[in-house]
Amino acid sequence: MGAEFRISRNRQIGTLSGLLGLCGVLWILSPYFLTVSNLLNIAEQTSIIAVVAAGMTFVIITAGIDLSVGSLLAFSGVVMASSLAAGRSIPLALTIGLLVGLACGIGNGVLISIGRLPPFIATLGMMSIARGAALLFTQGRPISGFSETFRSIATTDVLRVPFPVIVMIAVYVISHLILTRTKLGRYAYAIGGNETTAYLSGVNVRLYKTAVYGLSGMCSALAAVLLTARLNSAQPIAGINYELDAIAAVVIGGTSLMGGEGTVSGTLIGALIIGVLRNGLNLLAVSSFIQQIVIGSVIVTAVLLDTFFKRRKK
Amino acid sequence: MKRFLVVIALALLALCGCQRGSDRNAGRPRIALVLKTLNNPFFIDMQRGAEEAATRLGVDLIVQAAEREIDVDKQLQIVENLIQSKIDAICITPSGSREIVPAVVKANQAHIPVVIVDTRVDAATLKEAGGVIAAFIGSDNFEGGKLAGEFIVKALGGKGSVAILEGIPGHETGDSRLRGFHSVVDGQTGLKIVASQPANWERDQGFNVFQNILQSHPDLKAVFACSDLMALGAVEAIRAAKRDNIIVVGFDAFSEAQDAVKAGTMHATIAQSPSTMGALAVENALHALRGEPLQENIQVNIKLVTKENAS
Repeated sequence: MGAEFRISRNRQIGTLSGLLGLCGVLWILSPYFLTVSNLLNIAEQTSIIAVVAAGMTFVIITAGIDLSVGSLLAFSGVVMASSLAAGRSIPLALTIGLLVGLACGIGNGVLISIGRLPPFIATLGMMSIARGAALLFTQGRPISGFSETFRSIATTDVLRVPFPVIVMIAVYVISHLILTRTKLGRYAYAIGGNETTAYLSGVNVRLYKTAVYGLSGMCSALAAVLLTARLNSAQPIAGINYELDAIAAVVIGGTSLMGGEGTVSGTLIGALIIGVLRNGLNLLAVSSFIQQIVIGSVIVTAVLLDTFFKRRKK
Repeated sequence: MKRFLVVIALALLALCGCQRGSDRNAGRPRIALVLKTLNNPFFIDMQRGAEEAATRLGVDLIVQAAEREIDVDKQLQIVENLIQSKIDAICITPSGSREIVPAVVKANQAHIPVVIVDTRVDAATLKEAGGVIAAFIGSDNFEGGKLAGEFIVKALGGKGSVAILEGIPGHETGDSRLRGFHSVVDGQTGLKIVASQPANWERDQGFNVFQNILQSHPDLKAVFACSDLMALGAVEAIRAAKRDNIIVVGFDAFSEAQDAVKAGTMHATIAQSPSTMGALAVENALHALRGEPLQENIQVNIKLVTKENAS
């Protein structure tokens, strides 16, 4: 365990130096990059994907995948928005939204652990079901126009730090604690490392796998709260392709798609790398076509280097 | 360490792509045009018009767009990042009439004038959030919808069943076109609208949705698509179903649609002038920057294109 921890530590330092190097380059290239307001701006823009990616990290550590996160974000978002529009209190509406995310996530987990579907298939199905449900629920139209209090979830600053950033930090602290200090975390690694061994050692694999997907669903619902408050609108077509951004953040952060290893702090750095890149390319007025090429290249390179170093260590 | 170097190398590569953006002359006004997307000929025309005006007026123009037309959050991020880069003025074609309001408010707070192009901002939401825009430049979409409706009424002699392909629901642009179309067609007792479904402005969705409509309405006589991309999708669906005698009317009149009108696979489209819009956007943003008075609502000409006047 100790040696493994060191390896993931090293890898994280690699990712972190990547992030810092990128910041350094942008600092040289753009006078607008390294300002407090821009860094907070990046953190705020990253917060939504980062929250989704925190849940995704758990799933990928168990050697699973969750393709439904974007659709769950949309579905829980519109359900929450419609309860707000129906005049329910904010805490109640938020609870309803989070429960919808949790329930759909548990649905994924049940399909995978009890139904024995491959995670790719189960969550692919859920991706379409939840998207359809969101569209049906709203008749395709966005729900918008919320109270000042609800919008303040996205607009409040605490000592200049936007509230979504505080939420993001809280999510990562809690996720880190769950992953390192609780049974759920340790069993997630065990299941991802070798499911059969975990099962034979008495881990309730079905329960913990289901819990992991439930957690991911709830993270999507939390991201939906942030996005809805930010745009003052809940869209049934929100969150399309978010699963790809979240998976990218997780793998850039050094979590292996084969499962059994990874950290949430790595994922946070991964999400920030994507956020910094997008921001920097905007500041430098790079054409949006080139932006996509650059972002794709960074993802591939990060993982390529990871595999390369892993092979050499062996 | 190696990864660190590679990331730097990549970023330097990115720099090569943006040389044009970074060798800006000091003192020239920097104006941004934020489009919904760049994978739609309409917005590429708009970009061209804006670039010509920028060259003529000595403006540094920055054009940015989200990858997908529906990505309202990405558009908000682009606007936030432009504000960080101390841009002088921003022209936006909103991906969402309400969802763009937070971006407008943020620009207002940074004292950056905002010119809205093509798609209106929802007035009530804007007012409630306390945002202001310098000007709106766009086509009279209601009028365009009316022209399309009148064409179909005339072509069918006031009789038959009609289908509609809508854009993304809740988009002001598409909604006005629909309202204009309905204002003409609803009064015709012989005409029946048998289907009206969203195809989200996309060609492949236009194809799929219209294929399904064709299946369920064997007697369909005409379709009004709220954009040419969807209309061209419908044309493919008609070809695949080996049906004929279906009148197809689109909206936008970009070159491929004009060709289709000439070839007779489409029957009419409504010409907007995106390049004029782009040019007017830059001109008005410049006026706003200099504190010159602006017309708040600038309508760009719109006209019906048929086989006779297609170019």
